[in-house]
Amino acid sequence: MVIALNSKYQAMNLIRLRQKLCPNSVSLSLQWQIRFILLQNRQGKTRLAKYYVPLEDSEKHKVEYEVHRLIVNRDPKFTNFVEFRTHKVIYRRYAGLFFSMCVDITDNELAYLECIHLFVEILDHFFSNVCELDLVFNFHKVYLILDEFILAGELQETSKKAIIERMGELEKLE
Amino acid sequence: MEQLRTIGRELAMGSQGGFGQSKEFLDLVKSIGEARSKAEEDRIVLSEIETLKRRIIEPDIPKRKMKEFIIRLVYVEMLGHDASFGYIHAVKMTHDDNILIKRTGYLAVTLFLDENHDLIILIVNTIQKDLKSDNYLVVCAALNAVCRLINEETIPAVLPQVVELVNHPKEAVRKKAIMALHRFYQRSPSSVSHLVSNFRKKLSDNDPSVMGATLCPLYDLITVDANSYKDLVVSFVSILKQVAEHRLPKSYDYHQMPAPYIQIKLLKILALLGTGDKQASEHMYTVVNDITRKADTSSNIGNAVLYECVCCAAAIYPNPKLMETASSTISRFLKQSDSHNLRYMGIDALSRLIKLNPDIAEQHQLAVIDCLEDRDDTLKRKTFELLYRMTKSSNVEVIVDRTIDYMISINDSYYKTEIASRCVELAEQYAPSNQWFIQTMNKVFEHAGDLVNRKVVHNLMHLIAEGFGEDDDAVDSQLRLSAVSVLDHFLFT
Repeated sequence: MVIALNSKYQAMNLIRLRQKLCPNSVSLSLQWQIRFILLQNRQGKTRLAKYYVPLEDSEKHKVEYEVHRLIVNRDPKFTNFVEFRTHKVIYRRYAGLFFSMCVDITDNELAYLECIHLFVEILDHFFSNVCELDLVFNFHKVYLILDEFILAGELQETSKKAIIERMGELEKLE
Repeated sequence: MEQLRTIGRELAMGSQGGFGQSKEFLDLVKSIGEARSKAEEDRIVLSEIETLKRRIIEPDIPKRKMKEFIIRLVYVEMLGHDASFGYIHAVKMTHDDNILIKRTGYLAVTLFLDENHDLIILIVNTIQKDLKSDNYLVVCAALNAVCRLINEETIPAVLPQVVELVNHPKEAVRKKAIMALHRFYQRSPSSVSHLVSNFRKKLSDNDPSVMGATLCPLYDLITVDANSYKDLVVSFVSILKQVAEHRLPKSYDYHQMPAPYIQIKLLKILALLGTGDKQASEHMYTVVNDITRKADTSSNIGNAVLYECVCCAAAIYPNPKLMETASSTISRFLKQSDSHNLRYMGIDALSRLIKLNPDIAEQHQLAVIDCLEDRDDTLKRKTFELLYRMTKSSNVEVIVDRTIDYMISINDSYYKTEIASRCVELAEQYAPSNQWFIQTMNKVFEHAGDLVNRKVVHNLMHLIAEGFGEDDDAVDSQLRLSAVSVLDHFLFT
């Protein structure tokens, strides 16, 4: 009885079955892509917003509001990864600032978490013990640093030294 | 202490004109920070916008002042207001010869505009010129802009120049050129298909950053067509080995791990190349095992690399030793009761190994159940995905019941629909009896009726009407009766 049952249903679900058997099969080519990076304080004010996918201004405001609401009251013991619409947000809190990164495919969330930390280490080095005010008054420099770290939604450079050197060259010109 | 530091910094900035900004800008930022309501903040920003609108069109503004106006415009937009009146001035700044002014112009333009904006036409010419500049900093600024603002239509305008820059003497330029080409590939694969040899060549670039950048486009290319790149397996393994043996400059170390991000990218690539290919996979076993052994298990990044090793092991042609190592990594992740992050990664890794080794779930039953009952929704969600993957006839009833309970608690309709259809799928595939099947389907309809695909309901009705292929008519009609009565209850309440 069970066998007859299965064969009838399996006929109806051939495609879904195949999907289930090959969960690791990849069909999208836009892997390892960062959609946006946000720096927000506890009140939800945006200190930095970098988008790597085209979005309308009104969409951006909605996104910033939603992400803040999602992470601001989350229990610090819970995972640093949350589902956000059909993507994922990896976030971490440093003093009064939330650094969040929205990624396309759920894939090695720990690596992205450390990506955020690496960025903070770079900022710390550049501003010598960075604090929120540094980032507020020099937000354009933070954007420049970010452009050396991540480009077109991909990790561009992971050597702290290389990034600091590049920023040094620009600072010399000021 | 924190207070004193910030006050001190403020004073210092105020007296020096704050890293090149005027007092006006500092006052603006301060007043916004001190605003006690959104309305007050909006008023300040709107007044700033009015000021900028007036002053930005004045004749003969000194360049440094214009630079500051543009920065203030960026700031205003970041706070959520519209500064589109100033976009054209940012565009004009990119034409300037002074690298600092030009750079600020490019920065503003990449923040204000996106690839579909009308003003892009005015910038393409400047970008073309700047890509040919003698000053590599100018070239870098132009490449940054290319990565953001060039779309399918404008690719041909800059492509030849970008290709040349892949061989520029400065590594920063080569690196950015590769990333620009990668972006072109993502926007329009046909535009760069003839340039694939560039990516292959740059894999052996002297500079590790350039080599690392090449991994991005190569990954995408391999995803689409792994067979054409099987010849690179040996090269990738060799590079990975060198990286893991600390042969890259120390500046690529991060928390004592040698170039972990490059390792992770390489492991992902190897996973793709080794899938279903015994020969290719055999090259990889040693290096993956070595990395697993040497990785630092106390740091997040060490665990991130370990996780990637498990993913690789699960994807390529199976090897018993590798499976064992992967299994012990997962055990360790799941045992970390105070780290939700690691347990999450453990559950994810487990669901990848399930198809190769179905017994592995049994070994970690307790840990999995703990995750299932945790308050952390993200962890719970991941565990339900694992359950979905490990369902078979012997455990379908328990799993589907649990999943339905979970489904009832979900508020988000998009996610609820997903879970409902999973329940339906599992029920259809593994139902131990018709009776159970009907009861289960009814429970799903009861709690997510309007979300379930109409086709499912239709099919069920069809089946009830036609019968279940039973030989015994009596049993058949009995089933139909019970089915109808259950559905009846559902339809008329």
